[in-house]
Formats: sequence, structure tokens, C-alpha cells
Amino acid sequence: MHTAFKITLAAALALMAGGAMAEEGNVPSLKGKTVGVTVIGTDHHWDLQAYQGQIDELKKLGAEVIALDAGRNDQTQVSQIQTLIAQHPDAIIQQLGNIEVLAPWLKRIRQADIPLFTVDTATPEAITNTTSDNYSIGAQLALQMVKDMRGEGKVAVFNGFYSVPVCKIRYDQLKYVLQSFPRIEIIEPELRDVIPNTVQSAYSDVNDVLNQYGPDSGLKAVWACWDVPMIGATQAIADAGRKDVKTYGVDGSPEFVEMVADPKSPAGAVAAQQPYKIGQTAAQTVARFLNGDEVPPFNFIPAVLVTKENAGETAAPFLPKDGKTGDKAEGASDKTEGKAEGKAAAQ
Amino acid sequence: MSAVATAGTARPTRRKRDYSKLAVRLGAFAGFAAIALYFAATARGFVSPYNLTNIVEQSTILGLLAFGMTLVFAGTGTDVQKGGIDLSLAANAGLCAAVYAVLLRNGYGSAIAIPAAILTGMAIGALNGVAVVLFKIMPLLATLAVLNIAEGLELTLTENTVVPVSSPLIDMLAFGRFLGLSSLTWIFVVATIVLVAIAHYSRIGLRLYAVGGHKEAARAAGINNGAYVYGAYIAAGGLAGLTSILIVARLSSSTPGTGQMLLPVLAAALLGTVFSRRLIPTIGGTCLAALFIGTLANGFQLLGISSYWVSGVQGALILVVVAVTSFAKK
Repeated sequence: MHTAFKITLAAALALMAGGAMAEEGNVPSLKGKTVGVTVIGTDHHWDLQAYQGQIDELKKLGAEVIALDAGRNDQTQVSQIQTLIAQHPDAIIQQLGNIEVLAPWLKRIRQADIPLFTVDTATPEAITNTTSDNYSIGAQLALQMVKDMRGEGKVAVFNGFYSVPVCKIRYDQLKYVLQSFPRIEIIEPELRDVIPNTVQSAYSDVNDVLNQYGPDSGLKAVWACWDVPMIGATQAIADAGRKDVKTYGVDGSPEFVEMVADPKSPAGAVAAQQPYKIGQTAAQTVARFLNGDEVPPFNFIPAVLVTKENAGETAAPFLPKDGKTGDKAEGASDKTEGKAEGKAAAQ
Repeated sequence: MSAVATAGTARPTRRKRDYSKLAVRLGAFAGFAAIALYFAATARGFVSPYNLTNIVEQSTILGLLAFGMTLVFAGTGTDVQKGGIDLSLAANAGLCAAVYAVLLRNGYGSAIAIPAAILTGMAIGALNGVAVVLFKIMPLLATLAVLNIAEGLELTLTENTVVPVSSPLIDMLAFGRFLGLSSLTWIFVVATIVLVAIAHYSRIGLRLYAVGGHKEAARAAGINNGAYVYGAYIAAGGLAGLTSILIVARLSSSTPGTGQMLLPVLAAALLGTVFSRRLIPTIGGTCLAALFIGTLANGFQLLGISSYWVSGVQGALILVVVAVTSFAKK
């Protein structure tokens, strides 16, 4: 590897590693404590990594873990939360899901005097929400898109998950940025991303949009609040042979990062997050809270905007590696670098 | 069915058959008891009163939909392998939930939204009836097609998004309690009693079973078979509509994915047969089966076993139940 590149990569990793991992040595034990984890689903890279990060860290800290995966079924998640409340664990961590469905149940967790922590769910009921800085992610991605579009043209937007808090934030940020660029128009009606069959459905939706908006239409971008639909969107654009349309998403699923890093692919940019570390940090926050320490209302774990231009330096930690993903593999550097994210985030 | 057996020559076989039916039934009860005891011994908090009422509450939506399926089984052939089925039931509930939520969101009150949801369910049920009775399409295919119609309509209404709603009624249904039991639990209890009375003690119910048990004999006795099959599908649709209100209340919104309940609903209605004396679908049997499946899901959660196993077990239960009941009936 080229030395200059090595240094840049190390610097990038150090920047990303600026998380609570540095405090690992100081994290109090969870021996004798039971922690419930409830998650809407683990069928995507981000979800599984964040879920696994929590479980691994909770177990490492000595907690007994009741981990419940609702298999993308709202009714199952509601039942699982109800059952968790009956078990009265020392704390509950809740990850993602539809806020409208969850809100009354999260309230019930607090009414039952169980400390509630969330991953990616902004709610007044949570003591700490561990997540990425989605305000910044949303604005950065939108600005990158505006830059690539040269400030004008049409964008097709997937907006099927406005009920998921992180998606709401990213979408609202996109709209806010676009207020300053009135020559960029969001195509109406907006597209609906779905779960399951996300990739296939996005492929056919974008295919339809490409047919409707030909090369002279001014269509230049496709956006979604996450990157799994963008895998299908990018394939549809590539298969249609269009060079004028690029895709933008969030999360850092290895397949999509690979597309962004590929100079020939129409994938424009992705805000790549560190879900495994988000999960770990959520678990550590629980340990600190149960130890009587003060914890911040939110922890922001850094994310990196991987673009076509900077992919050479930034994409590496997020690309697929021997069946494992960058997020976990990059953990080694965490131990040597970084500063106290939790405290920084609370500012 | 027993009506097929002629007296005299068939007596020894019949007795043998009765014994095997008894064995299946006792086996089912013993299985339920054994699993409940196992959870009681191994799963933390399983026997706490709060958790036990949770199980009933968590089984209510499944139970009510399975009652609908039971009525269809009863009216279209109590031998579930040869008779009718309603594959559209869960998707129908999803559509009704969407109708209910979208109407509430658009400012219509419960007084309009609730009847609209129930009527939607009944209309989808009537469509099943038309396909099965009038067009004589195989129920499996007819209701599969209607499933697609219901799902399509739901997606059109909600655009595949979550439609959040709130109303005092929804709060009362989701979180209200009376004499220590939740609203959903009470609804399950009352619905079970009412449906047992209708299906097993009223003239309509007995005729429904007559139509399902032996078409020709029922027709010879002067019963209008078609009307009862229509009635069964429409009643099932009406139950789907009613249940959709509870689904919306529990989730504070209409969400995509209600159609996923088809497998547990089928499992509950089929499993219900092994709790009945003649191994036929009954409301009481289905109620027990829904509680059984609710117990399994709850126990698995408490033991930290993945919820994906629950669907696996439901599939296996369907296979075992259908195999065992058809074997015991031979």
C-alpha cells in the first residue's frame, strides 16, 4: 500500500474512531444485571451490526441479555415489548422501528420504571439515544447531491419511511437544503421504498422513473434515507445505460459503498455509519447509567460521507472484507485512537 | 364424516376410530399442558399474573381472525383438506385497518370509520362467496386471488406507509383495563362466548355445520347450502373488519404487513380441530389453539429464542395436525 494513502486511511479511521470506545477501560461492569434488547428487524446490514454490537458488548460487560428480534413485524415488536415489561429487566434498549407504533409502548416502559435507551429512535422517553448525527448526515448528503447536480435539475426521492425518526431527520434536512436551491425540483409523487423486497421494488420504481424522465428531462439524482433501495436504483440506472443520473443514500451497506467506490457505477455518494459501534456505545451507556454515572441525552457516533471523489481514501473500512464488513474489522484501530464521544456529543 | 359410516358393519372400525380421536385429543391437551409446564419451569416471569394476562391479550387478534377461519371451515367442509378455506382473511383485516385509519386521519369519526371497516371486511367476504359459490372456483385459488385484491387495495389506500391515528376509543382499546383485565382480553372472552353460542347452540350455527359436514344431506333436508357458504365468508370478513379496529388500536396506526398473520391464523384454526371431540373446527378448539400459539410465542420470547422459530413451529404444527387428524379419521 502506498505510504501516503496509508497515512490518509489511518487518519480517516482515527477520525471515525473518535468514539466512546476509548473509554472502554472505564466502563463499569453489568454483572448481575439483565438488559432487554428489542429490535424491529435484523434483515439489513445496519440493523444486524447495531443489534450485534449491543449484544456483544452487553455480554462482554457481564449482563444477562434478553434479545428480541421482531422480524419486521410491528405486532410482534409490540408483543415483545409487552413481554419485556413483564420481565422487568434492569434496562431496555430499543432499536429503530415506526415511532407512531412504538411511542405509547415506550411510554409504558418508562411508566413501569424501567430505564429506556434507544438506538436510532429519537423519543422523549429515552434516557440516551445512541445514533449518528443524522442532521449533519442529511445536510452533507443533500449538499453533495446539489454539488453533483450543479444546482439544478430533478431528483426522484424515496420517502416510504418518514415514520422512522432517523429518516424523518434526513428527509427534512434534504428539504431544508433544497430551499436554498429552488432550481432543484423533487419529482411528485415521491417514491415509496418498502421492506421486504427493497432492492427489487426500488429497481422497478426507478426503471419506471427513467422511462418517464428521459435523458433530456433534467433528472439527475435519486435519493433515499438509507442505501438498500439505492442498490436497486443504481442497478436500474446502470442497466438503462444512463450516465446523467446518480444515486444518494445513507448507512454504508458494503454493497452500496462498493458501488460508490466503482468509478463506472452511477452511485454518487453514501453517508457511511458505524452501526456496530453505535450498538456497543448504547450498551456502554446502559452500564454507565446503572452504575450511577451521568449520561448524555444522545451519543453521536461519527459517520463519513463517501463520494466518488474521495472513495479512494474513505471507502476502505466499509467495503466487504472476507465475509465481514468494514465496520467490525475496523474495531482494532478504535482501541488506540479517539476521544470521549459521549461527552463531546452532549455539547 | 360419521354420517358416511353405515351402522352395523362399521361399528368395530368406528370404535377404533373413536379411540384414535380420543388419543389425538388427549395428546393435544397433554402437549399444551407439557409445554406450559416447561415454560413455567424454565422461563423467567412466565407464570406471573401480568404475563399470563399478556398471553391472552397477545392472542386476541390472532384468535378473532382464527374464529373467522373456523366459521369458513365449518360451513365449507369440516374436513379441512377437502373443504373451503379463506386465504384472504389476514389481508382483508389489513385492508379494513387501512380503511379505518385513513378515514380517521381524514377527519371522519369512529361512528363512520368503524362501520366502514366492518362493511369493507364483509364486502371482501362476499367477494369470496361469489367466487366460490357462483363461479365455483376452488376456494384455495378463489381466496388467493381475493387476497391479492385486498392487498392491492390496502397498498393503494396507504401507499405502503404507516398511517398513524389516535382517538379516545383507540386509547381505551389499547390501554384500558377493567377488573384487572385489559380491553383486548375482555373482547376475546366476550367474542368467544358469543361465537360459541351462535356456532354451536343456535339454529343457524347447527345448519352451518350440517352444510359443511355433509352437503348432500343438508340439501336433502331443505337447507340452502349456498346461502350458508356466503354467510360463512361474509361473517369471516366481518370478523376481519372488527379485528382490524383492534389491530389499529394496538399499533396506534395502520401498518403494512397485517397479511403476514395468515400463517398463524391458519395454524390456530387447524390446530383447533385437535382440541375438539370429533376433530372438527370449533370455536372452543380454536380459542384454545390461539392461546396455545400465543403461549408458544410468549414462552419463546421469554427464553430468548428467535421469533423466526415461531413461524417454523407454526408451519410444522399445520403439517402435524393435518396429518394426525386425517389419519385418526380413517
